[in-house]
Amino acid sequence: MTKTEIYARMSAAIVAGDRDEARRLAEDALRSGFDLIDVVEQGYLPGIQKVGELWEQGEYFLPELISSAEAMKAAMAVLEPALNRQGSGAVMGGKVVIGTVEGDIHDIGKNLVASMLQAGGFEVFDLGADVKMERFIDKAEEVGAALICLSALLTTTMMNQRRLIGLLRDKGLRDKYKVLVGGAPATRKWAEEIGADGYAENAVAAVKLAKALVGRA
Amino acid sequence: MRASLLDLARTRTVLFDGAMGTELMARGLGLGVPPELWNVERPEAVREVHAAYFAAGSDVVSTNSFGATPIKLAAHGLAARAFELNRAAARLAREAAPAGRFVAGSMGPTGKFLKPQGPATEEDLIASFAEQARGLAEGGVDVFIIETQYDLREALAAVRGARAASDRPVFVTMTFNAFPRGYFTIMGNPAPRAVAELEKAGAAAVGANCTLTTAEMAGCIRAMRPATALPLIAQANAGQPEVTPEGGLRYAQSIEDYVRSVPEIVQAGAAFIGGCCGTTPDYIRAMARTIRQEVKA
Repeated sequence: MTKTEIYARMSAAIVAGDRDEARRLAEDALRSGFDLIDVVEQGYLPGIQKVGELWEQGEYFLPELISSAEAMKAAMAVLEPALNRQGSGAVMGGKVVIGTVEGDIHDIGKNLVASMLQAGGFEVFDLGADVKMERFIDKAEEVGAALICLSALLTTTMMNQRRLIGLLRDKGLRDKYKVLVGGAPATRKWAEEIGADGYAENAVAAVKLAKALVGRA
Repeated sequence: MRASLLDLARTRTVLFDGAMGTELMARGLGLGVPPELWNVERPEAVREVHAAYFAAGSDVVSTNSFGATPIKLAAHGLAARAFELNRAAARLAREAAPAGRFVAGSMGPTGKFLKPQGPATEEDLIASFAEQARGLAEGGVDVFIIETQYDLREALAAVRGARAASDRPVFVTMTFNAFPRGYFTIMGNPAPRAVAELEKAGAAAVGANCTLTTAEMAGCIRAMRPATALPLIAQANAGQPEVTPEGGLRYAQSIEDYVRSVPEIVQAGAAFIGGCCGTTPDYIRAMARTIRQEVKA
């Protein structure tokens, strides 16, 4: 089998959401001494990009998206230690702190965005739901995050997205992080209004936006 | 025995109520406090919202119990109080209901995905919905309304839970997004198949709520109509929330805009109509006027 064929199978495993196949192909690639950056960029990432397209076209829905993200995570779990050893953190997108804002316990959308970001090569620190605004900043400072992602389902709790940006300003940290907002009531207009760096309509769009913001698009 | 809600729907379009959570917040419900707690802590506020909707023309109101499954309440450490909070929710709506009006026991999603996407099993969900339904039945609801469901498997588990607890009619609404190929839940359940499956599971009325505006809702009801013999329910959002120049929030669809598509929803085949996020007693009053004109025409 040629490398091109193997890459195509990796991509297909992600599109099919086949976790075992994705993991097995990654192990084979590792054993065969493949260039792991090529494996990620030509094998797996095109798969998750295809999944994103299928989602945007209304062909794939949440179950398919979750399965594909899980398959991607399984493959990356195999490849990451080796990638890190060879100092190829470059294929990784950077660090993201994500959570659902204070007062809001809804985490379905946030979990999905966290999964897709991870599948897209970001290192994700998921703080969970009902997260105190100060904790987002503390965690971002601690891990050296590039992005802070804030989810809110309620029109009332989305006000906390604005509050976080105010807090960052007060601490003189506003320019240090890109802040993304999301959740059912969030809109592009809302993101602009509160001075966020971006808004995405869904988990797939969120990954694209995150990549653009860290200069990987 | 008095006429049932389903009997009424055979004679004319039946009007549900509008949003509850935002009405309670306008009365001081704080961030992060589950609205259902007010069924015991601020019962007069909850009763007042129901009374406002009845006064606006609602034939039936939904109880303040949307998030009161034990699974959902567990996030607030209140799982053990599910029966009590649901019974109180039903009693408050019952107390506010004038003679001949109706009470629907609201049952929202648990917020947990079923396996393999999430940790929940069908048995977990059935048990949780059954516990909620027991409380609602004890408090005196006329029907159950399982609402805003996005996973057909969870909706079916809710129907089974409700039917295990009581023989009262079970209404079900799911929430759909509009795509070029039709109307689908986030899990990919197409609207026509969803209503057909719910009918098979023993639902008494089925439909759509939340997410869609009234203009989009008409199309969704039209897509469902051929797929089931049951009466259809339509409860649209007042558009998407947006920021006002003063920094507050409002929903994009004005009352006039919201009501404009109501006749089309009725013509598309909805027997029950009502509001969802962003609607208030004023929206319901305007809908009541529109529906009455429709009936006369």
